[in-house]
Amino acid sequence: MIVVGGLKFGAIYSLAALGIVVIYKATRIVNFAHGAFVLAGAYATYGIVEALDVGYWPAYLLVPIATGLLAAAVEFGMLRPIRQADMFALITSTIFIGIGLSEVYRLVQNTEMLGVRNPLPGPPIFLGDVIITKEQVWVLVGAIISALIGVVVFGYAPIGRGLRAIAANARGAALCGYSSDGMNAMAWFLGGALAGLAGIFAAPSKGISPELAISMITAGFVAAVIGGIDSLRGALFGGLVLGLAETVAAAYVSSAMKNAVSFLLLFVVLLWRPEGLFPEAKIRDV
Amino acid sequence: MSNGRLRAITGVLAPSAVLLAVSVFGLLFDTYWQYVFAISISAAVIGSALAMLVGYARCITIATGAMLAIGAYGATIPIVHAGMPFLAAIIVAIILGACAGLVLAVPGVRFRSHNLAMITLVFQAVVIIVLRESKTLTGGAEGMHVPPPVILGFSFARDADFLLLCGAIYALAVLPMAVLLAGAFGKNLRALAFNENAARAFGIDVSQHLIAAFIFSSGLIAFAGAVSAPRFRIIDPDSYGIFTSIFTLAYPIIGGMGSIWGGLAGGGILRVVPELLRPLADYIELIFCALVVATLTFFPDGLASALWRRRRTRHRRIKPDTSLKPASVELAPIAELFAATEALGLAAAGRDGAEPILLTVEGVSKSYGALRAVDDVSLVVSAGALHGLMGPNGAGKTTLFNIVSGFVAADTGKVQMSGALLHDIPLEARIRLGMTRTFQHAAVFERLSCLDNVIIGLGRNSIAQGILRSFGQAYANAGSRSERRAAQAALVAVGLGTRVEDVAGALPLGDQRRLEIARAIVSRPRLMLLDEPVSGVSVEEARRLRELLLAINGQLGIAMVVIEHNIGFLSSLCRRISVMSQGRILAEGDAASIIADPRVRHAYFGEQEAAA
Repeated sequence: MIVVGGLKFGAIYSLAALGIVVIYKATRIVNFAHGAFVLAGAYATYGIVEALDVGYWPAYLLVPIATGLLAAAVEFGMLRPIRQADMFALITSTIFIGIGLSEVYRLVQNTEMLGVRNPLPGPPIFLGDVIITKEQVWVLVGAIISALIGVVVFGYAPIGRGLRAIAANARGAALCGYSSDGMNAMAWFLGGALAGLAGIFAAPSKGISPELAISMITAGFVAAVIGGIDSLRGALFGGLVLGLAETVAAAYVSSAMKNAVSFLLLFVVLLWRPEGLFPEAKIRDV
Repeated sequence: MSNGRLRAITGVLAPSAVLLAVSVFGLLFDTYWQYVFAISISAAVIGSALAMLVGYARCITIATGAMLAIGAYGATIPIVHAGMPFLAAIIVAIILGACAGLVLAVPGVRFRSHNLAMITLVFQAVVIIVLRESKTLTGGAEGMHVPPPVILGFSFARDADFLLLCGAIYALAVLPMAVLLAGAFGKNLRALAFNENAARAFGIDVSQHLIAAFIFSSGLIAFAGAVSAPRFRIIDPDSYGIFTSIFTLAYPIIGGMGSIWGGLAGGGILRVVPELLRPLADYIELIFCALVVATLTFFPDGLASALWRRRRTRHRRIKPDTSLKPASVELAPIAELFAATEALGLAAAGRDGAEPILLTVEGVSKSYGALRAVDDVSLVVSAGALHGLMGPNGAGKTTLFNIVSGFVAADTGKVQMSGALLHDIPLEARIRLGMTRTFQHAAVFERLSCLDNVIIGLGRNSIAQGILRSFGQAYANAGSRSERRAAQAALVAVGLGTRVEDVAGALPLGDQRRLEIARAIVSRPRLMLLDEPVSGVSVEEARRLRELLLAINGQLGIAMVVIEHNIGFLSSLCRRISVMSQGRILAEGDAASIIADPRVRHAYFGEQEAAA
């Protein structure tokens, strides 16, 4: 029961981490505005499911597109002008863009917390002593499938090849006919779409508030670093590990411990295995 | 008191004097304004601490709120629960803050851009949650009452008293920060922030410097948290949340990254803007965000420094432009200086006769995957020699330099200098053996003045030396004056005697090359490694640089290994030339024999030439 609950949150973290990794792999920017994209996704879910009351299915389709466009717009409008600057300026910009977006949300929707209905209500499933809700199963399976789609798109589809080419050698890729501007925007779109999906799955159980942005960016980063910030599969795995570790710590130690776990994991990984548990093989073919 | 000493002392005392003056000025107003002034100077101190970490070292920290909380709770808990005196509790807070800085920095500095931002973000979140959950000690989310500070029985409960207390103890606390930032430590931080490789080559240990910066800055932030806590009457975890961290990060960015004043002004002004603009209170965070992003886009050095510089450049334009005049080269002063140190017995072992062989490279190889970048290379350079190293692109010349200077470890083989094996000597220590280098792409510390660039070249840059020298420079002691003299002599030696105070990044490329040479000779090395010293400069400038190098070699006796593509330049400079191709040494000899060698022609011109 604890395991399934942990895996459910873990799968959401995986989605958030995956978006961070996709953007990082293609553009070398660690996107601190990612939590705000998740928040935007959750808020859009609220709009579709609660305000418009048209059910969940349109949300699964529209929310990723909306957050993807938001992310691409941020890249195009705010980060492109300083692309030549150093990492400090780029990362700091994403931090303030993220907070700015959260602030916009707070100004538009000045409430403590918005709730979104459970996507799959109904009696829980009993497996012996273990009680599993349908929502848990749905989020776990749905988030993992979404994550796998992300991995496949980035890893195997033609778009993904362009993105990886840009990541490996921006000038070389430009010479081969890949537009680096277009590919950057595409990477941000893809990353933003993954954040939107994380938002859909997170909204019912975590609620919608600026806190969501912060908790998702923190968890997403820890998951990405555990997996090796360069690795898609690592991010998937890192999210699940983090979700499990948090839930187990909360159940057996204390609820305060739940949050300290993420720092401890990050600390340990950065000290002893800074390349993460799933470092991308860096073999040069000559 | 000499002029230079007066300027040094007033420079480091000025921030403290301003804080004190502001607090006294605040006494003229009513209690609300006294409160505003008190939080303003607290924020100015936080800004000065962030000037070190964010402005100088260019580290992104999102843990400032947590550090303030550690300071505030770290001082208040012992006061409330154990009856500790206020001043002792403040010291506890500083120590706790410094320890927290250490915990963050050790794993974070390895990839300082994003890892540090991440680990500080997570740390911030965890500290606040732990404070909220430890209800018995901290009162949890409801907060904790903080008694007014009591020193020697006097209670600083009135706003006016509190403001004066703040002014006085902040003035004391900001002094070491001002000394460190104005001195060698701050300059080393700025150097490594913009050119890590060059900084390391001159003995600056990057991790140690960043960890130290984290400790100092966190200690001061925790201190500010402890001192300001009583003014809030009640402290609760959420007022030290992530928003606090992020808005304090804006202080040095908007205020300006290049001096303590940027942080002080940014903090002092930005912190009170919400108090002054009450009608806009709801939008203030959004406005800050927009301001930061706009500042980073349009004024990367900060808004305040952009305004400041505009004023200064207008002044400077009146001065005649001297850059077109041919540089006058005068080696006598530095030669005298070197001779003087030798007479005192401070110079390294003698160079004439005793050790004819200076550098030996024996069977050195280095592979990257399947590519053998350097393949079984051996090379001997004798003391005082001028040795050329040429070869087509990708021949392994720079890799060989990187192995000798310590940037890259060889897979196999030995490198010896004056008989000492170099393998176990870290990069940062090699300058003390008398080895310096220049870089293929001119690697000056662009934000620092020419003089400061060359002073870093002296190589007294270990963390302890950097801190001690900063305090020495604060009152212009004998050591710091002799450093300045040596650096000035080196600048005169390369023909930059008129540009001592100019910012290095503003020099034309040829002059940046000269500056690199000045930085490399000032420590009186026995061996200088020059990586393409004339690439990208005009033919005329290349000729003058050649004369400069010949003069340095002749008059100062510094041996050189020079990488260059330009065979004309190389043959007129070096008596001996080695040619590398595909990782191997192809031929070695004087210029004429090299040019005549068919293998060399083959490597450069390909099959056709060989067939012809």
